Amino acid sequence: MRRTVLSAMTLACTAVLATTVPAFADDATPAPRRTPAASASPVPSEAPTRKPTAAAQAPREEPAKKRDRGQVAVVPKGAPNTGVTDESSGSSGTESALIGGGAAAVLAAGGAAVLVVRRRRATGA
Amino acid sequence: MTPFSRRAFATAAAASLLAGCGGHPARRTTAAPSSGRRPPPTPGKAARPLGRSVPVGLRIPAIGVDTPVIRLGLAPDGSVAVPPVTAHDRAGWYRHSPTPGQLGPSVILGHVTVGAYGDGVFRHLARLRRGDRVEARLENGTAAQFDVSAVRTVAKADFPADEVYGNVDRPELRLITCGGPRSGDGYLDNVIVFATLTSAGP
Repeated sequence: MRRTVLSAMTLACTAVLATTVPAFADDATPAPRRTPAASASPVPSEAPTRKPTAAAQAPREEPAKKRDRGQVAVVPKGAPNTGVTDESSGSSGTESALIGGGAAAVLAAGGAAVLVVRRRRATGA
Repeated sequence: MTPFSRRAFATAAAASLLAGCGGHPARRTTAAPSSGRRPPPTPGKAARPLGRSVPVGLRIPAIGVDTPVIRLGLAPDGSVAVPPVTAHDRAGWYRHSPTPGQLGPSVILGHVTVGAYGDGVFRHLARLRRGDRVEARLENGTAAQFDVSAVRTVAKADFPADEVYGNVDRPELRLITCGGPRSGDGYLDNVIVFATLTSAGP
């Protein structure tokens, strides 16, 4: 009887550890995460950690060469960065932590219930 | 093994399975836009140029786009600024380019995806085909109608600045977004739609 209880407890503890470790490992790093705030930087995909500047309607502009008779008065440099992919663990990290925590709570509750039932049975209640 | 220990084992195993499955949500996958490389815009009949009026809206029925248009300038590094990354993504008009309907290439940009918010306003821009209609609503209450003349997917490293921003002899429109394979948190290509003014109306 005691051995069965002990083995159940060991199994439960192992499962709790196994579930919590990946959940925290996914989001524990203090690596800068892109914050999809309303005031995004003008070049979000290249500099996700850049301090948000003013709204895109009124960006600071550096002096750029002007074409004298060009229909486009100022030709921008390079190619536009008009795509931000969902590679950051912004939501998935939180999701994993929640799932891991929930599973751990379920396991702990299950283990406690088993223990209570065992003790009651052992005492002959 | 007693029934209770069996139950405990089953509970633990089920919980472990659930936690393991939930830890890695499926990543969003993007199919590379069909890089419909098309010939450069060919001369066709174009409507007469319109007066200057800032665009306030953009409608592209073929891909279900109906969006407000904001103004964009330059980023500090000299590249063109892009619309802010928000849940309600909008298109942006590059304010150093002609307004839609004026003589020259009017440039409007939009995101293909906006990170955690999902699809951008120009998510399906690469699906446009020659002849599709684009309507730019202007501040003065009129609307400039354009017809798509070409859709190109180009590597960002070889962005055709002259074709996009260079002078033309009629009112044209450029719609730009990203596309192609992903690299880190961005894309390697740009999708560029070339369109020509066909008419204007209220």
